[in-house]
Amino acid sequence: MGLLDTFRKAAAPFSRRFSYAKSEEELFDDEFQRKLEYLAMVSRRVFSGAMRAERRTKKTGSGVEFADHRNYTAGDDFRYLDWHAYQRFDRLLVRLFEEEEDLSIYLIIDSSTSMGFGDGAKLKQAKRLCAALAYVGLANLDRVTIVSATDEVSGRMPSTRGKARIFRIFKFLRTVEPDGQTDLGDALKTFVAQHKRRGLAVVLSDLYDAKGFEKGINVLRYAKFDPFVIHIVDEQDATPELRGDVRVYDCESGEEREVTVTAKVLERYKRAYEKYLAEVQRFCTKKQVSYFRADVNVPFDELILRVFRRGGFLR
Amino acid sequence: MNFTGVPLATLLQVGGVAAGVIVLFYILKLRRRPVPVPFARIWERILRDKEATSLFSQLKRILSLLLQLAILALMLLALGDPRTAQNLVEGRNVVVLIDASASMRASDVEPTRLDAAVEDVREMVRGLGSDDRLLIAQMDAAVTPLSTLTGEVSELEKALKDVRPVDARTDFARGLRFAADTLRGLPKPEIVVVSDGSLGEPVDAAGKVDLEGITLSYIHVGEGSHNAAITGFSVRRYPLDKSRYEVMLEVTNTSEQPMDVELSLYGDGDLTDVSRLQLKAKEVLPRFYPNLSGASRTLEARLALPDGARDDLPADDHAYALLPERRRSRVQVVTDGNMYLEAALLLDEYLDVTMVTPAEYPSDGEFDVTIFDNVAPVLAGKGGHTLYLNPTGENVPFKVGELVKNGDSDYALGFDEIEHKHPIVRYTALGDINIAEAHVLEGEKEDKVVAKSHKGPLLIAGRRSGNKFVALGFDVRHSDFALRIAWPLFLLNTINDFVEEDTSYISSFRTGEVWRIPAPSSAHIAKLERPDGTERVVPVKDGRAIFLGQQAGFYKLRTGAEGAEEESMFAANLSDPLESAIAPVPELKVGDQTAGEVGGFAVGVRREIWLWLLLGVVAISAIEWLTYHRRITV
Repeated sequence: MGLLDTFRKAAAPFSRRFSYAKSEEELFDDEFQRKLEYLAMVSRRVFSGAMRAERRTKKTGSGVEFADHRNYTAGDDFRYLDWHAYQRFDRLLVRLFEEEEDLSIYLIIDSSTSMGFGDGAKLKQAKRLCAALAYVGLANLDRVTIVSATDEVSGRMPSTRGKARIFRIFKFLRTVEPDGQTDLGDALKTFVAQHKRRGLAVVLSDLYDAKGFEKGINVLRYAKFDPFVIHIVDEQDATPELRGDVRVYDCESGEEREVTVTAKVLERYKRAYEKYLAEVQRFCTKKQVSYFRADVNVPFDELILRVFRRGGFLR
Repeated sequence: MNFTGVPLATLLQVGGVAAGVIVLFYILKLRRRPVPVPFARIWERILRDKEATSLFSQLKRILSLLLQLAILALMLLALGDPRTAQNLVEGRNVVVLIDASASMRASDVEPTRLDAAVEDVREMVRGLGSDDRLLIAQMDAAVTPLSTLTGEVSELEKALKDVRPVDARTDFARGLRFAADTLRGLPKPEIVVVSDGSLGEPVDAAGKVDLEGITLSYIHVGEGSHNAAITGFSVRRYPLDKSRYEVMLEVTNTSEQPMDVELSLYGDGDLTDVSRLQLKAKEVLPRFYPNLSGASRTLEARLALPDGARDDLPADDHAYALLPERRRSRVQVVTDGNMYLEAALLLDEYLDVTMVTPAEYPSDGEFDVTIFDNVAPVLAGKGGHTLYLNPTGENVPFKVGELVKNGDSDYALGFDEIEHKHPIVRYTALGDINIAEAHVLEGEKEDKVVAKSHKGPLLIAGRRSGNKFVALGFDVRHSDFALRIAWPLFLLNTINDFVEEDTSYISSFRTGEVWRIPAPSSAHIAKLERPDGTERVVPVKDGRAIFLGQQAGFYKLRTGAEGAEEESMFAANLSDPLESAIAPVPELKVGDQTAGEVGGFAVGVRREIWLWLLLGVVAISAIEWLTYHRRITV
């Protein structure tokens, strides 16, 4: 090994740290902030007061002012079906009303090691989505609380409101680093205990929970929170670049398995991965939990618009 | 099955250890590369499914082990060099003599006999036994080994590409001696002669060739005999009229059938004569073309069938000859007057004669020859070679004896002993010349006495300071020599010998012999350009360039430093009735031994099992590689 190699090796952690910090700066750059403003405007066109309460807070809505339609999805209350629209368009649409009550929005971001796996794209995407949703909430004068969770609540930003607080949120999110094992059950139990005021609990996670992702979501459900699952997925997780005889180990638990990776095995792995995603989605649907899959390769603003469009968060 | 390589016991020991190592390595799994994954549970799911087929998986892994063990077994067997009992026979040592003489250029076998011979030998080489060793040699006027004594098929096939036909006869005795010497002391020696059979009796200066128990085999090629040849062709200028020349030609029909042929004669490339000849079977027809003129340098004779077709051997349908080159010689004659001498010198128009009296000597100018007639002054430079006629005094490079008179009535004074082969007395009859008086001449030891009387030498020749001299010990006017035709011939022969216009000029050499080509005496080496344009350096010794020529055609010989080269030409012809007689000889006899047929060279005999075993190793390795990379055995 040459002197240069030795120097490079010694300097590697510093350079990594520097590049990480730089990428964290870039995470919420001016462009990002401009997009946030745009998203906030889009959300205000839908309603001007608060979150759509009925579905999100489990309260029968006191709002009477019609806001918009959205597509009917399984689990929606039949009472809000617009039969006139059905007659006209032959489509099942649900009427949305504005709710004047302010809402507590809890954004729970998974900061386990698996979220930073590879180039950390999942955590970055989660942070951006979190910041975007927080801004929309802040813009609508909701109480926004951000929590980072692994197998515990590893970080918490107290509830806040008002657009100006977005920079605090940025600051908080920048401190969130991928470390620790995922145990949403334990972590969210702690979260529920710490937050008595019920509200919308948005979980941004890859849901790689060895003890079962269901536990955490169920904790929220049982505690009368309104869970909203944003499942962060990365295509690279589905198609790992592996070949030959390898010993795979879990980046969080260190659990090992020996495997000879062939094209056939990779194909089977991909099927298993997709099956896992389908399981998550099926569970959420079954439990009437809003579920949204967020691919790291799709720009966050587009994802947010899809969230808006799909409903469950804003409309 | 016998093992001629590593002994079986050793193989078993090595095999046992190696197999144990393979199995051990197989059991000890290699440490796998650790790779982090985001969620091991998904991997666990697919591995769970895979374990359901673990039995099949194990079987596949055992197949991989078995393949490795099979490779090991094959390699060990190859090391053992297994042989069948049939292949245990001791290898032969074979020398193949390929006849490349002119007759092998016959095209009665397509494309030629030589090509057919080479093809036959190629078949032999391909059928060489695993322990056989073979040497290929080209046999013509010399013997040229083209390969070493080897069992390498590739080397032997490469050697076959170097076989070239020549325009010469085969020195069969030399070829056989070479082969016998090569095979002496080697087991199972065999000589294979590949020829059309026109080889002659294998006898040379050392006597008959004795093959001393060496097996002699014969591959016979050729089937036709339709051939006519020019077997003789020479030209000479008339000594007294060098502008004219005569040509001798000999045409031979070597076939058993009469033939009509057309004979063309070309001078300097231009057709000068065409004649149709009817040749009886085996007829040898000489033809003379006297008193010809026109051509100044080259002559070529061509033989063709009247319909334009060719006979079976076109190589002997051409003959080449070269007329001796003519150049003007500068002759200085120092005399008080000698009519016979002056008259004789007038006969050759290519002589520039300068007459000077002894008082005028030395005159200005440079000369090739100086003739001193009855005088012997001190030699001046630039006089060239010297002819002394009746020399006297002390200024001669030899001793001049007392005057001898023809006084004995029983024994007349004349030339009693003559060196007839000496060029200065060629074509002359000097035996009955009468001499009235003469001086006996006494040269030095290295001087040549050309003719002498019973009183002593009268005609001597020698060399002093690089110049030749000839001395005649009497005045031709005191003899009847001046009245004979021999006198001008002697004079012109002497001048020609001085200026190296040899009267014994050879118009063409015969291929297959060692040529002694006239070259300047001062040269040590010469460059020889062959008819095919290739050039080689040949040694020059005593004024002769020495070369074994095997190509017919015109040659060029260059001597001297580059830029100031002297060039001379000469011709070479096959002119060999034995080579032109191309009727194949199906049987070959050497002494009492008759050559047998070649055997044991069947293609496919060379079956070395170890080679196949190694090929098996390669095949199994390829299968293993394919199955591994296609993830069949993993």
